[in-house]
Amino acid sequence: MREAEYHDLSDDADYAASSQQGSSLVARTDSSKRSSLHEPGVAEILYSMDNVAMHPTRYASERIRGRLKLIRQGNSILMTWIPYKGQSSNGRFSEEDKNLYSIRAVPFTDIRSIRRHTPTLGWQYVIVVMQSGLAFPPLYFYNGGVKQFLATIKQHVFLMRSAEDANVFLVNDFHNPLQKEEGQQGGNEVGQQKTCHTEKPKITLVYSRRKNKGREREREAREERNGYKEDEGGRMFPFQVLHPQLVWLMNYPLMMITQRMLLIKSFASSFRENVSQRRKHHDPAQDLSIQVLEKFSLVTRFARDTTAQIFRDGRVGERKRDQSSPEHHPSRFEDSEKVPEVPVSPDRLEKTSSRKQSSGEEAATDVGMFELINFKEFDKLSLVWGKPRQPPLGHEEWITFLDIEGRIVDSEALRKRIFYGGMEHNMRKEIWRFLLGCHSYDSTYAEREYLVSVKKSEYEILKRQWQSISAEQAKRFTKFRERKGLIDKDVVRTDRSLSFYDGDDNSNVYLLRDILLTYSFYNFDLGYCQGMSDLLSPIVYVMRDESESFWCFVSLMERLGPNFNRDQSGMHSQLFALSKLVELLDSPLHNYFQQNDCLNYFFCFRWILIQFKREFEYEKTMRLWEVLWTHYLSEHLHLYVCVAILKRCRSKIIGEQMDFDSLLKYINELSGHIDLDAILRDAEALCICAGENGTACIPPGTPPSLPIEDASIYHQPDADIL
Amino acid sequence: MPSRRRALLKVIILGDSGYVNKKFSNQYKATIGADFLTKEVQFEDRLFTLQIWDTAGQERFQSLGVAFYRGADCCVLVYDVNVMKSFDNLNNWREEFLIQASPSDPENFPFVVIGNKIDVDGGNSRVVSEKKARAWCASKGNIPYIETSAKEGINIEDAFQVIAKNALKTGEEEEIIYLPDTIDVGSSSQQRSSGCEC
Ligand SMILES: Nc1nc2c(ncn2[C@@H]2O[C@H](COP(=O)(O)OP(=O)(O)OP(=O)(O)O)[C@@H](O)[C@H]2O)c(=O)[nH]1
Ligand SMILES: [Mg+2]
Repeated sequence: MREAEYHDLSDDADYAASSQQGSSLVARTDSSKRSSLHEPGVAEILYSMDNVAMHPTRYASERIRGRLKLIRQGNSILMTWIPYKGQSSNGRFSEEDKNLYSIRAVPFTDIRSIRRHTPTLGWQYVIVVMQSGLAFPPLYFYNGGVKQFLATIKQHVFLMRSAEDANVFLVNDFHNPLQKEEGQQGGNEVGQQKTCHTEKPKITLVYSRRKNKGREREREAREERNGYKEDEGGRMFPFQVLHPQLVWLMNYPLMMITQRMLLIKSFASSFRENVSQRRKHHDPAQDLSIQVLEKFSLVTRFARDTTAQIFRDGRVGERKRDQSSPEHHPSRFEDSEKVPEVPVSPDRLEKTSSRKQSSGEEAATDVGMFELINFKEFDKLSLVWGKPRQPPLGHEEWITFLDIEGRIVDSEALRKRIFYGGMEHNMRKEIWRFLLGCHSYDSTYAEREYLVSVKKSEYEILKRQWQSISAEQAKRFTKFRERKGLIDKDVVRTDRSLSFYDGDDNSNVYLLRDILLTYSFYNFDLGYCQGMSDLLSPIVYVMRDESESFWCFVSLMERLGPNFNRDQSGMHSQLFALSKLVELLDSPLHNYFQQNDCLNYFFCFRWILIQFKREFEYEKTMRLWEVLWTHYLSEHLHLYVCVAILKRCRSKIIGEQMDFDSLLKYINELSGHIDLDAILRDAEALCICAGENGTACIPPGTPPSLPIEDASIYHQPDADIL
Repeated sequence: MPSRRRALLKVIILGDSGYVNKKFSNQYKATIGADFLTKEVQFEDRLFTLQIWDTAGQERFQSLGVAFYRGADCCVLVYDVNVMKSFDNLNNWREEFLIQASPSDPENFPFVVIGNKIDVDGGNSRVVSEKKARAWCASKGNIPYIETSAKEGINIEDAFQVIAKNALKTGEEEEIIYLPDTIDVGSSSQQRSSGCEC
């Protein structure tokens, strides 16, 4: 990328412009000129690296490339990263846009740490975290050179490896008494640093927002008076009233990882005296989105794209200048529930669920900034970042969703609620019928009651069709006999370890048989297929009523029936979509599967065919199903669940170099060892991350979407009727 | 080294749904996709691990087979001695396997046939005679035949022995009878193990 040289002037021009903003003036320096002068006002380039890029979106064409430099000016060491002018021709980023990403003459006294990422696959990048806690988006070194970058810094600035994480380098770590002696040479600069630092707080442990509210309010009042944030350790930290949008985001644990960023961001803006001055140049919403994006990008690169989209869609107003700045929003908690366009706005339940978070969540919110700086837990946490699961929906809350005649007023809210928490078992009989589509949300109690009775007689008629087949007739009815034989064999192998289905002559087993046989007459073309008994079992367990179970099963099969197509087309389309999703969401894993001849994804066959029925214990299966049935984020959440599980196993799969056989065995043996809540959170996050790109992976009509052409779907050659 | 290579043997169990033995499939559940069972077998002073794949019996799922059959060392065909159709279908299963797995030497690929559920009704509901079954096995290149009852545990251990022996193809006499081409066998198991040892 030699043509980059042509952009030198723009580089310097921006540089000069930025320096006006800061306190010092930096003179132009030719990059080839190596000056040993340390006079103030003369800048010396210590390090210059081309093709260092930011990735605001996941598209390679939309990356902003620029030059990273380390500059000595007087006794200050400065870092700059200036985008090349006019490089991206796609028009996605205007020059102005790109300038927003520029890093202009940031003195190392303002930098707290640098985290280095040198993945074996993909580009090396660093994340520069400011004293304020703000972090710049990752800088990707397309031409390598991270090592040299750090080495150069080390020659001029006190750099210390974090004890917690060998990839984190603390800059001018003022906790370390040695720092002052070993730090930067030159009296002035050191003196400056010293005063600067002693004024600043030492360490920041941001405690959870979820703590006792009363106590927190008291503390808040105190903090507001003092202008410092307290924590248990009695340490202080400058504090500002949080932006309501930040509060929203904090209450939106889907972005758990970003929360830390946001907290940090919020501190950052009050941290500096020149905060208001800076705002003129850095729109807070813009900053915010960058921070969020940046954090997301650690998880998956394209996540940022999605986040950008979320912001763009008006949720935070990415590029809209003059938008609400923090100061204009006095209340912190109350307002948070009013943000209307939020895809997942905080619920009333979140308050009650406060203490039920998993430890991962606690860790993430409690340690806030500390976490960020150490990044120690990051990899572990990176996949647990969906919204924390809520307690299941109970009766008391359920009735609040109903109007006086029994209509569900806000079905979207209900589905969302169930998506995040499922429901208590005793609610399932009633609510599953809505989720499955047996009852419409706007039906009344009376209408439902009527429908149930109509359907009951309809069921009886269907059932009589096979009941009326005499033993004599059956002798001449091979298809019937075979079908019945298969069902008989399967119902006695279905969930027999459950007391509900165990023992000889169990009437519930007969219930399964009768319903399946009736269904095979109701949908004779599809007939009975292995796996159906697994799908029916929980329905009967919940409904405890033959006709109602039957109709629920019919509804379910409207969506899952194609799983059992004779030509396996329904399964193949899902496995195909899954492979596309993995390609999108985890390309190294995809590549691994490709190289190892595993792209047919047959090892996920059972997961998809019977919706993870064999992978979880019974109660968890029901929980998963009701979540899937909400179709809240996607009709195909089950595919994201697959991706989530695979992602959690990826290091083992790749590390052990599993071939198809060992992979299948391994996946089969995961049964009973999958943490449903964690996987649901992963799946949720992946689904949101994938966004439109994810949707594009899934061809229309892929089950459980309703088939595009209803009629043709079951009309397949009837070679084996079983 | 050769013993190490052969320590793991991949065995495929095929047959109409619902006739295999639950001791084979271990789970008392209809197979979805493929189930695994590993079984340690001692044979000629050596310990082998049989990696037994029980695939779904319903014909509808047969298209999955191709992925599962790859690299098999032995294919076990199971039928229910009480159900004629399950016996009639043996030929289909055998041919299906040979097509989908496409072993290098289909003529000599080791099969074992098991007639299961001999316990049912004290043997009174039996419709396939041992003689008939053996005749069929002989016609298909002397496939070893064994009768079992999973329920009563009859001949189960023997069945595993026969399977192991055939998967290995090291038995002296059997080698002469069934497996004239030992070179091929060696190379095929070597090929397989290279995928498994890592
Ligand atoms: N009486 C008797 N019953 C048996 C015997 N072997 C298996 N069964 C029964 O037959 C049924 C089917 O057994 P499985 O091993 O699950 O059948 P499968 O062939 O694996 O069936 P798919 O998984 O559907 O292919 C079960 O209910 C077993 O208890 C036997 O030797 N005697
Ligand atoms: Mg089975």
